[in-house]
Amino acid sequence: MWVYEKKLLYPVEVTTCNPKLARYLMEQYGGADGELAAALRYMNQRYTVPDKVIGVLNDIATEEFSHLEMLATMIYKLTKDATPQQLEEAGLGPHFANHGHALFYENANGVPFTTTYIQAKGDPIADLYEDIAAEEKARATYQWLIDLSDDPGLNDALKFLRERENVHSLRFRESVQILMDERDRKKIF
Amino acid sequence: MNPFEEERQLMQLVQEADFVVVELTLYTNTHPNDEDALDQWRVAIKEAARLRRQYESRYGPLSLHSIPSEEAIEAGWRWNQPPWPWQR
Repeated sequence: MWVYEKKLLYPVEVTTCNPKLARYLMEQYGGADGELAAALRYMNQRYTVPDKVIGVLNDIATEEFSHLEMLATMIYKLTKDATPQQLEEAGLGPHFANHGHALFYENANGVPFTTTYIQAKGDPIADLYEDIAAEEKARATYQWLIDLSDDPGLNDALKFLRERENVHSLRFRESVQILMDERDRKKIF
Repeated sequence: MNPFEEERQLMQLVQEADFVVVELTLYTNTHPNDEDALDQWRVAIKEAARLRRQYESRYGPLSLHSIPSEEAIEAGWRWNQPPWPWQR
């Protein structure tokens, strides 16, 4: 089970209303390499991996949900005071027509989230390699978002998230090594 | 320092302390025999608990599992009140 914590993993500071930046951030909210995809992918894979790597999948999945909440907070703060006209100018006219000021799990182009973005292969090595790739793609996306962002307050949180993807990638690579070492031991004895 | 700023600073200390626990837990998942990391975790988990108690005794619960102080029970242990994290 999960228990809600009434705080963010890391503070999110937004300088001004900025719907255009919010739109770009949606790529990491409901996009193919975003936080929702990551959280759902790991949470689902954890059932069919060896005991030695369950903790990594379980704990990273949980952390991804806290990243998702940070992204939601960014998007909410960047758009809550925007007029329909400002949203339209930022390319969020179609979003407003469907969702008003609500958030939705979609990418920067407004394409709704789909589980076809993620996989569970029932093969620990195949799953972990997908997870490493996912972290590297998320890291790259955060870099592009930082390059696009004109909000210095927000960049602090985006850099934190970019760094977390590096750490997660490293833990997944170590998990692969743990499984390979175990496999080699079994062959010897 | 105004009350709003005091709350914000203590919240940040809680966030920092909790993050250290998250990071060390994740690290020890793949380094279960790293005694130095386990020692760091033993210190970090106590520090996080200490700061959490301090925050909650002043500003209210951070989770449904939080154990309220006697004073907090007297005052009414209110969960459903702002600010929620995205309203800060």
